[in-house]
Amino acid sequence: MKPADFLFERPAGQVATMPPEMRGLARDEVRLLVSTPRRHAHARFRDLASYLTPGTVLVVNRSATLAASLPATGRLGPFMLNLSTRYQDGLWLAEPRWDRSRPGPLPLHPGVSIEAGGLAGRLIAPYPGLARLWFTRIDGDVEAAIARAGEPIRYGYIEPPLPPLSAYQTLFSTVPGSAEMPSAGRPFTPRVVAELEADGIAILPIELHAGVSSLELDPETIDRPVLYPEPFRVPVATAATINQARREGRPVIAVGTTVVRALESAFADGQVRPAEGFTRLYVHPARRVQAVDGLLTGLHDPLASHLAMLHALAGTELIRGAYAEALREGYLWHEFGDTHLILRDSIRNGW
Amino acid sequence: MHHVALITGGSRGLGATLAAFLAAQDYDLVLTSRHADELEAASRAIAHYGGRILQIAGDVADEDHRQKLVAGAWELGGLDLLINNASELGPSPLPPLADLPLDRLERLLAVNVVAPLGLAQSALPLLQQRQGLIVNLSSDAALGGYPGWGGYGATKAALDLISLTLANELKEHGVAVVSVDPGDMRTVMHQAAFPGSDISDRPLPEATIPFFAWLLGQEHGRVSGRRYQAQSTLWEIAA
Repeated sequence: MKPADFLFERPAGQVATMPPEMRGLARDEVRLLVSTPRRHAHARFRDLASYLTPGTVLVVNRSATLAASLPATGRLGPFMLNLSTRYQDGLWLAEPRWDRSRPGPLPLHPGVSIEAGGLAGRLIAPYPGLARLWFTRIDGDVEAAIARAGEPIRYGYIEPPLPPLSAYQTLFSTVPGSAEMPSAGRPFTPRVVAELEADGIAILPIELHAGVSSLELDPETIDRPVLYPEPFRVPVATAATINQARREGRPVIAVGTTVVRALESAFADGQVRPAEGFTRLYVHPARRVQAVDGLLTGLHDPLASHLAMLHALAGTELIRGAYAEALREGYLWHEFGDTHLILRDSIRNGW
Repeated sequence: MHHVALITGGSRGLGATLAAFLAAQDYDLVLTSRHADELEAASRAIAHYGGRILQIAGDVADEDHRQKLVAGAWELGGLDLLINNASELGPSPLPPLADLPLDRLERLLAVNVVAPLGLAQSALPLLQQRQGLIVNLSSDAALGGYPGWGGYGATKAALDLISLTLANELKEHGVAVVSVDPGDMRTVMHQAAFPGSDISDRPLPEATIPFFAWLLGQEHGRVSGRRYQAQSTLWEIAA
């Protein structure tokens, strides 16, 4: 694994700046790149079922997105506090930013008093090794503040009119807790799910509450980047169904990198265990992907830590080939963009 | 009503880091250490948060001192969190067990095993009132069998078993007990284990803050009896 494996030139225009619904497409009409060791195919997401074999198990993240971006003020003036992860009642890991486009850093130190979403708070300590994230105390009813004053976390590339919170939920979103949408599930629609079910493809949930976007990998520490942990839960029924599929040789496919992180964290002694806690597992090529055979995901930026996971799953050659295709064919990056189905075993999947 | 924590070995290293982290969250604190001047400095550094801090210098191996610590917590209104962090390492450089003076081993046992249990015993009524949590600091030396680490490691192995047994015994009383291996850290104790070596590649005690932020937010019944590594990739709770 070397930094160059994760480098490529993405043209600035190859970014989805709004949801497909605002571009005249249905959610399931985004593009789907299908990559196996044998070939790459270009399709529409709504045709997903035709690329999966009957008996496949799809594992989705049922975490729903919070309106986690709160307006904040302090001695330094108005700023934005993006809540990333809840640690305790009233203690969050959060990212203070100037605004959507300007991450800072802000001139902050431990003990600074703030007000966020109308509630009093205090910066406690920076996250060790990730100085842009702060443990932040917020006194009072944070849920109510989110409901009253929160907006979904949006970055500078999203164009007005800004999408509402509903644009950041998926068909599977039932357990609130993510700072940013687990976006791989976004293109699923009732008609896609009906086709999958008709083909004997099961859909099972895990929970992983995604925090704010990780920054690029630092080439200096690519083997051991500082990653912060996220809350996750693998239910008993999901673990049991995955293990049965694995015993019977049926493919298990993660819908989203969050699902890979959760399942790999729960994997021990050759099977997926029911598990709950916080995980900061870094899935990278030096560590095999064991719980899943494939991944449905979006397109990831150069040096994104998720690229290491993709390479771990399917190998550097396959992923770099896929990204060359996606770049050439004008696929769109980011949470409202196009999708990528990666199958590491072409024989099992028919082609 | 503020939360109250009692931290032993609170004047430097991990203890001082945890004291600052809790003070910033408005805990009232009882801090102890054998080093009165360092204790004074550590307390002064966090006084601006406005919580009450009782600094009581002394040796946790001394039963009278332990009674004073618990009386201090009582004075602050109760006890939510007992952090048994004070430890001794033994002779530096670390001798093999064949050469470990037995009086030093007895001292290690007094500080690292008897004192944490003694504090837990004395503080139990207060902890029970607030359905509190006992955190006993352990070490990978408790499992490792590393040459030179036998005395210290044996005390931590004993403390691990005390943690687990206490957790089982105290379940019905609503008091939780966890054992925490903080991992390698750039501290005075770690330097004493490796005299003359450069330990600047070890993380500062702040590296454990995310773990403690997480631990203190968990339902006690789902963490009690568990042994955690503060710097590992995974912290699990019981189903």
